[in-house]
Amino acid sequence: MSITDVTIQPASAPVLSEEQRARLAVLADLLISGGAGLPSASGAEVPTQWIDRVLAVRADLDATVRAVLELEGDPGEVLAGLRADSPEVFGAFAMAVAGAYLINPRVRRGLGYPGPAPMKNPALPDEAEAYLEGGILDVVVARGPIYRPTPQG
Amino acid sequence: MSTDVADVLIIGAGASGGVAAKHLAEAGFSVVVLEQGDWVNQSDLPGLRPEYEVLGGGPWHPNPNVRQRPEDYPINLDDSAAVIGMFNGVGGSTVLYASCWCRAKPSDFRVRTLDGVADDWPVSYEELEPFYRQVEYDLGISGQAGNPAYPPGYAPPLPSLPINMAGRVMAQGMNKLGWHWWPGYNSIPSQDHLHQKKCERYGVCMYGCPQGAKGSTDVALFPDALAHGARLETRARVARISLDENGLANGAVYFQDGVEKFQPAKLVLVGANGIGTPRLLLMSESAGHPDGLANSSGLVGKRFMTHPFGTSVGLYEEDLEDWVGPTGEAIESMQFYETDPSRGFVRGSKWHIIPSAGRPLGMINRFTMGEGGVADEPFWGEAFTERMKASVGHLIEWMIMPDDLPEEHNRITLDHEKTDSDGLPGAKVAYVTGENTRKLVDWNLQRSLEAHEAAGATKAWITNRNNPSWHNMGTARMGDDPETSVVNRWGQAHDVPNLYVIDGSQFVTATGVNPTATICALAKRTAAYLVENRREQKVSTA
Repeated sequence: MSITDVTIQPASAPVLSEEQRARLAVLADLLISGGAGLPSASGAEVPTQWIDRVLAVRADLDATVRAVLELEGDPGEVLAGLRADSPEVFGAFAMAVAGAYLINPRVRRGLGYPGPAPMKNPALPDEAEAYLEGGILDVVVARGPIYRPTPQG
Repeated sequence: MSTDVADVLIIGAGASGGVAAKHLAEAGFSVVVLEQGDWVNQSDLPGLRPEYEVLGGGPWHPNPNVRQRPEDYPINLDDSAAVIGMFNGVGGSTVLYASCWCRAKPSDFRVRTLDGVADDWPVSYEELEPFYRQVEYDLGISGQAGNPAYPPGYAPPLPSLPINMAGRVMAQGMNKLGWHWWPGYNSIPSQDHLHQKKCERYGVCMYGCPQGAKGSTDVALFPDALAHGARLETRARVARISLDENGLANGAVYFQDGVEKFQPAKLVLVGANGIGTPRLLLMSESAGHPDGLANSSGLVGKRFMTHPFGTSVGLYEEDLEDWVGPTGEAIESMQFYETDPSRGFVRGSKWHIIPSAGRPLGMINRFTMGEGGVADEPFWGEAFTERMKASVGHLIEWMIMPDDLPEEHNRITLDHEKTDSDGLPGAKVAYVTGENTRKLVDWNLQRSLEAHEAAGATKAWITNRNNPSWHNMGTARMGDDPETSVVNRWGQAHDVPNLYVIDGSQFVTATGVNPTATICALAKRTAAYLVENRREQKVSTA
């Protein structure tokens, strides 16, 4: 599978408005600012694309995200307030943002994943034995039994 | 007698139900299985979708209270320190389990004799061993022979899966300490085996195997049961087990698509897990069984045990590539399994490593709930990408599975206020983590940090001392004395001779290992007993 094989299904949940996406971009970038060779949340198209895929399959997160986007005030203070006073809401909102971020194939590639989604990695014929090379299991065997047998009688 | 009277009615199409259905159908019994959930379509599983982890936190969550599918019944956890997991559908919790396959050890069956706590089981490791062996073949267990943590002769039917980079790095650390480790045992075939395909190592076992490799009973066992004439009714939620005028079980009343139906049977087996089984027995109260069916001992629902396991993680500079599956054990350790009184507790723990990179969202809790000051360090903002970069593919996680001793105040009761979609009472769990279990987890977690250090971790910390295990056990315990147990050594109810419990409810103690192997071995043993004693078995003729 390659990145081009990833099909983005249309979101079944109502899409966010442009205003909501703009607000989400600000809040999401406070959570994921980018660095270490990885983009910020908005740089990874979280508010414009990948959030839709999360909200489409998680009605519970959809409700939370929309509620948080309705909160007015300084974005940093909004998140700090949620974290202090409503940690479950903060946790769900952050989970939605991080979940959307980690779907982005570019982010996955940046983290070292071999593909945009879990992929098959069939074992080579001698791979199991190769990991045991050097006799690393021999010393365990040499120490002898470590179980207590069933008492007799 | 109606022509549709089943020789055997099995309630629940999970691990134990699959084992029993296959064995009894192949032996020529007419078998009917009632399952409240449905078949899981492999193409519906989330594992190959980019958002699989998000789906695993919602519609595929192991906690039914989160999942909230129509087939799930509510579980009241207001008085429980443990969070519950299970899956309701053909295959039961084996659909979502990690596939760690762990035999219990000889000492697990003799805890009273050896350690002076709880009770001995009425069966021994040696009695159960042939049945472990048989189900290990049926479920395609991969593993390495010669483990000195078990009696001689334990040789899984399939070669071990690779322990992968994380397993090797930790194995070398364990060797520095002189501590036991062994390649993990998994109900995941390392080569094509019966109905199961060779594992392609997608690494998403806990979201359901997308290729039909994992030894879930819907894939590995039910096809044989159905081929031999078993009938499996899905979306069939049992409301109560009924009795004839002789006090024998004669079938079950169930709801299917909102319609009440009755399935008559000569013999009834219950495999609805350690919460569902006592719930059903308690719902099956009658004039002759006012406290619930098979409950003259008063122990139905009591002695609930789970495995509130601990986790620790370490960060490593090596590229561990641990998105490579399977999710089941890479390696395990039995170094601290047996009792050492100097530790301040009895019993012990099996440790195991499962890959973490297949669950990158899990990094959030690993950091933000981390002990040793980790939770106080920045995670969001500029730190997020640094943390993810440092941990994805560079983190090893130990899981510390503790033995959990039975206590009668830990129990399952009916919750008449929270009902399921058919109006049946939910289950209520009361569970307090025992002092011995807490000490056991704490002590082993400290040792696991030493293991991380020896393996070269640049940093290591404890992430959780009370993870939900999905291991529901002990609520219809087996024993020889009808006053102190619900079922006998064959799973047969003391009070109702043609009623058998075949799941983890029978467990006398929790053991310190994942329970599926022992659940399946016990179910196999009961099924074999029923075939051998079919002429002596009392059955309902009403």
